[in-house]
Amino acid sequence: MSDATTMPLGLGLWGRLSDRLNPILVRELQQAVKGRVFLVTVLLALLAEVVVAVTVTSEWRNTASIGRNAFSAGLATLAPLLLFVVPMQAYLAMTSELKGGVIEQLLLSELRPLRIVEGKLAAAMVQFVLYLAVAAPLLTTSYVLRGVDLPTILFCLCFAMVFCVAATTFAIAAALQGTFPAMRPVAMLGMAFGLGVGSLSMVGYIGSGECLRDVGWLLRSPDFWPMTTAMVLACLLGIVLLALVAQAFLAHAFENRSTGFRVFLLAVPLVLLGWILVMQGTSIRREAVAVGAMQMAVLAAVFLLFMVTELRDLSPRVRAHVPRHPLLALLVAPLLPGRDRGLLCGVLYALLIGCLGALFYSSPPPSTGMLGWDFAGAFWRATWVAFAYMFFFYGLVRALRSRLPETLGGNHAARFLAPLLVLLGIVLPLLFDGLVRGRVDDWHVGHLLNPFWTIGIAAEGRRDDVRTLVLLVGGLVLLLQAPAMVRGIREVLAASAARRRGSKAA
Amino acid sequence: MSVPILEVDQLCRSYGKVRAVADLSFAMQRGQITGFVGPNGAGKTTTMRIAATLDIPDSGDVRIDGVSVLVEPRRARQRIGYMSDQFHPYPNLDVMEYLDFFARAQGLRGHRRLQTVRSVAGFCGLDTFTDRPATGLSKGMGQRLHLAKTLLHDPQLLILDEPAAGLDPRARIEFRALLKELAATGKSILISSHILPELGETCDSVVVLEKGRRIVAGTIAEMQRSVAGQQSVQMRVLGDGDALLRFLIVQPEVADVAVDDRRARFAFAGDDEGLAQLLARAIAAGLAVVEFGRAEADLEAIFLSTTKGNLQ
Repeated sequence: MSDATTMPLGLGLWGRLSDRLNPILVRELQQAVKGRVFLVTVLLALLAEVVVAVTVTSEWRNTASIGRNAFSAGLATLAPLLLFVVPMQAYLAMTSELKGGVIEQLLLSELRPLRIVEGKLAAAMVQFVLYLAVAAPLLTTSYVLRGVDLPTILFCLCFAMVFCVAATTFAIAAALQGTFPAMRPVAMLGMAFGLGVGSLSMVGYIGSGECLRDVGWLLRSPDFWPMTTAMVLACLLGIVLLALVAQAFLAHAFENRSTGFRVFLLAVPLVLLGWILVMQGTSIRREAVAVGAMQMAVLAAVFLLFMVTELRDLSPRVRAHVPRHPLLALLVAPLLPGRDRGLLCGVLYALLIGCLGALFYSSPPPSTGMLGWDFAGAFWRATWVAFAYMFFFYGLVRALRSRLPETLGGNHAARFLAPLLVLLGIVLPLLFDGLVRGRVDDWHVGHLLNPFWTIGIAAEGRRDDVRTLVLLVGGLVLLLQAPAMVRGIREVLAASAARRRGSKAA
Repeated sequence: MSVPILEVDQLCRSYGKVRAVADLSFAMQRGQITGFVGPNGAGKTTTMRIAATLDIPDSGDVRIDGVSVLVEPRRARQRIGYMSDQFHPYPNLDVMEYLDFFARAQGLRGHRRLQTVRSVAGFCGLDTFTDRPATGLSKGMGQRLHLAKTLLHDPQLLILDEPAAGLDPRARIEFRALLKELAATGKSILISSHILPELGETCDSVVVLEKGRRIVAGTIAEMQRSVAGQQSVQMRVLGDGDALLRFLIVQPEVADVAVDDRRARFAFAGDDEGLAQLLARAIAAGLAVVEFGRAEADLEAIFLSTTKGNLQ
């Protein structure tokens, strides 16, 4: 190919520096610099900040109150920019790239799906910094007027950044739902509604002065670190999860889209436990772990829905990358794709929560717990019954899934039908009560299909027989699934053996 | 014998009840330009997308230079350049920035990136358009930019889906010349198009698809030989075209007669002697014959003789 020496592309300082940056970020910056939309948005933001500054300072009473008002107003102006404009731009950019087939062209390059998501987030962060720069004079003024102290400003801005990243990741993940054309309008509506409501609520919260009061209280509270770290951890976990979702939509259909989610699921209880051990005093650890375990059961219910409705077998690509060492293959088997291994992963997860229960619940409870009753015990009872229900319902879902075609469409159909199955279990006994018995006021055996009511009954500790029955049924259904789980492991071991044979032959 | 650059092996792909590709197999040798021909809905784009790792088959496999697109899609991607039938450049980027972005995406860094971008832009004749907005290019130049982007990582196999669709005659001729230049540099090219005469001039071989199945595959010369048994003959007369038609339809070994004004094209199953006798009979019947001879089977004729035009 010939050289074209007269071309205006030089490897200057920017060229060298940008080599180290994500290509998506570089491109988005180049587009933004040349684009009108970005310029107009920044100018409008600047104008809004000036208007706010003038309005706030015109109501002169004392410097402290004017400082506080200026900060609240500045932050309230920043909120829709960071929680609506930035994520919406990421959403629209991703949607147009999907429609035009540009994303496919990117996926054919060396860019991995996660790197594309990273690039989009980095571009959002540049916008964050820019909008912050626009609001900086007003925020600085509020500090100079001694209305707001530095920790409050830093705290608010740090959380603004975390929320902006979380909202943008949500927007990217929502945009990628558009890979299924039928989902595009739903994603668009959900996106606009979610971000709109979120940013408006935030504007109201900040504008009313509640935000500053709450932050001020939190900064002086003895619970500052536990609460702050809990919020940051929750946001970070949400961001990681949404990034995994986005990555899964971008990855090749035969690439391993499951392991990330399974590792995430298994890591969350450990992160939570770490947080409890570091941030919570010994006096309430027992209760904190019990509440956390119940939350983990809810989390597992969502994850397992996807894990037990996947395609059964390993894809050719994943099969070709199973560890050669049989022991290693055995260890990673629950983390590899496939619905049999998904259930196995769920069992491991339940065991992990069980270990936490054994560690923390076995310790003798204080004679009169926090609330004068066995608070932790109620949560643990609810957790076990929730797990039993999970294995029972997912046993039914797996039976349903095996009757659907072994295609991605089959996965989606099962995921859609599973909640309907639970709903049916809730509604049918209620209808029976309403139409036949004429009253819906007490729990009876028909409500065994209603997990939420029965979990409540079990948690109260009034009906040990019900709890035992649910645990037995859940355990039995799980036992019936044991051959499938063994099959899932054997498939991984067979793939591992095939790879070993291939290596020897080579 | 070396590994084929592209090997499609018993590929099947269905969308609901529609079988887009059914048990399709063919191979493509290195350095060849292969035409991928078939009516609309024959499964060309589906096959190309599977080969480009953008879709997955229900069964079967595609190997690029021996690398399975299902087992090692990333390695396969390094070997292919896929040019889809859609080109949507980014707004607010000029031609060089557009190429520069995709060069970065392909992992090219520093001076190597710069050189590659310049070289590819020069090769595709984009030298004088470097500062033009990528969205403001003509269709022809847009296709060149699309092709340039596909060449950045120096792929061994180019998969081009309808690259000449919508181009004016000049742009088409220039694009065809570009493809020939690429083939001369050793690239293998799989190209689908509806403009069959052009493919006939560009391609070394063709694969004809219909209803997702391979109807025929081979070099153009092989195909011409294969349809020679039913050689096409052209005949032009002065005077009445209806008389020509009436004469031809009753002649032995003549079939598929198509008369357009005073010109007829028909299949003739006989040998040269039979053809000479047919001409003599035509003259004896009072037809003023001014043209008579075998028409060499071009790609269009091969296509028409092998496909039924059934859509799905």
